[in-house]
Amino acid sequence: MTNNHDKVMTAKEAVEQFVNDGDHLIIGNYTVCTCAELVFEVIRQHKKHLTLYSQSGIFDVEIMVEAGLVDRLVTTYILRSGGKAGGSAVERALKAKTLELEDYTNFNYNARLVAGMHGFTFMQVLEGVMETDLYKKRGFMGEDKYRTIECPYTGKEILTVPSANPDVCIVHVQRADKFGNAQYWGAMGSVAAAALSSKKIIVSCEEIVDHEVIKSSPHHTIIPAFRTHAVVEAPFGSHPSEVLGYYNLDRLAYGLFQSLAATGDGLKAWMKEWIYGVKDRKEYTRHFIETFGENHFNKIKAQPYLSTPADYGTAFTSSYDENGREQYMGITEDEVEKIIEERKLYHG
Amino acid sequence: MAKRYTLNELMIIVAAREIKDHQNVVLGVGLPTTAGALAKALHAPHTNLMMESGIIDFEPLVQPNHIADANCCRGFSYATDLFSTFTMTYRGFVDVCFLGVGQIDRYGNLNTTAIGDYHDPELRLPGAGGAPDFISYAKKTVLTMRGGEFVNKLDYFTSPGYLDGGDSRDKSGRFPKGSGPSMLISTKGIFRFDKITRELYLDQIYPGVDVDMVKKDVPWDLNVSDDLSSVPPPTDKELEFTRRFAPAEALGKNIVAELTLSYFLSSKR
Repeated sequence: MTNNHDKVMTAKEAVEQFVNDGDHLIIGNYTVCTCAELVFEVIRQHKKHLTLYSQSGIFDVEIMVEAGLVDRLVTTYILRSGGKAGGSAVERALKAKTLELEDYTNFNYNARLVAGMHGFTFMQVLEGVMETDLYKKRGFMGEDKYRTIECPYTGKEILTVPSANPDVCIVHVQRADKFGNAQYWGAMGSVAAAALSSKKIIVSCEEIVDHEVIKSSPHHTIIPAFRTHAVVEAPFGSHPSEVLGYYNLDRLAYGLFQSLAATGDGLKAWMKEWIYGVKDRKEYTRHFIETFGENHFNKIKAQPYLSTPADYGTAFTSSYDENGREQYMGITEDEVEKIIEERKLYHG
Repeated sequence: MAKRYTLNELMIIVAAREIKDHQNVVLGVGLPTTAGALAKALHAPHTNLMMESGIIDFEPLVQPNHIADANCCRGFSYATDLFSTFTMTYRGFVDVCFLGVGQIDRYGNLNTTAIGDYHDPELRLPGAGGAPDFISYAKKTVLTMRGGEFVNKLDYFTSPGYLDGGDSRDKSGRFPKGSGPSMLISTKGIFRFDKITRELYLDQIYPGVDVDMVKKDVPWDLNVSDDLSSVPPPTDKELEFTRRFAPAEALGKNIVAELTLSYFLSSKR
């Protein structure tokens, strides 16, 4: 159990402490705001024999597979980073038989996490998929990819997926406090379910904020502190993907990645420069600015469009008003004591 | 001289002492929320107080009116929903929960639904609320009983304690090992559950109470701890906080209603 301790650490420390070889590791983010710095750090530390869960792979899955960390992949969507001709790291690994794959639909994959998040052993999903090869062709999960049961209310055959409870979730968010209350907004995807279904959660964020910021906006919290194991402050930590309110998807840097990733050697060269060649996000950012220029760095930064604050105000913040009188009864603390005495309310 | 206290205040303080720092605690309304506020202010500053409505990690500044009272605090850490609060309990993330008691039997099973025939009740009580779900899956449950009664057989079985006693709760396979009610705080003392038989026994009594006074409320031959002790009275710090935070608890519902009305009428004049 983990609660209101200060959990701030570096990405290096967090991955060392909470990611192990052989883990079921889930990338919590979905398409946007990916936890690039945490993924890079897992690669730097070469955590291997992973079963990787990814709702929708972008460069994150590609580089982890290219690095040879992933034995098994559970996903719904694979980025063909090299285009039609170039293929992808996932495709190369499948051909080389170094990677096993389980294909789900977005809904089915997400349902597994929702089941896991709530402690259920399975979840009902939509039966149309039974007509397809998603249902008929099984990967490493075999019979346990999908099973059917009879609905006890209608008698109809219904389709289920098993719950998933990955060992560790890595996830990037906009902001968090030092205790691990993590706030995220924008495309909600399956981010909360990915994190909450997992046994351990490593949060990286654009900024660590005072607990007071969290307290005044609890509707933005997607992971409560008591579930979080590590908090990593990693500004620009999602680049080249985007973080709403901070920076846009960087089409220039992404384009560079994709052009190199068209071949295994090209992807390796990209990784050598941008992952192994820098020790952390700070160095990555410095190298990025050196390569693409300050202007470009500033260009992709968000123009603020602030959400109107929600009002969490209440009438009273104490039982007594500013004159020391109880809000409803109008009596002072001394008068309370007097009444207790007069009415013989004391025990014994 | 130590400060004097009311029975309600004593019960709140006894309950608060069950909350340890860094625990995740689900509070039912009334006595438990005040106990939670006291624990957080005095000895458990990092405790995570939760209400089943989905208010997670709040610090009560005034007494909550009910279990969905975001007006009792100034913000909180995590806004989730009822469903998720129960499933987080199911998954083992709740260390302690506090529940009120209508009827209780010797194995800590509870009735908060109806007195008399369920289909033709003498008294219709509030019902299950979240009680069966919490007592099933919280690591530990503290019971508080102000107006309830001890019975040989519940009129309605709302919430599972130790079922038929012994290892029947564990053997049922429906509950996490080691879960179940850990203590009962009554108006006369503190009861716990025998580790083997799981039968309720009197462990500590309040100052000014004797064993016979307790026994006359219990319809079976109540076991009493070999080293029965007296509950340590409230410290000045515990009492000062409780009285300032919740003067209404010291005064009781009727007096509060009377004083509130008379203040309203006088200030309107």
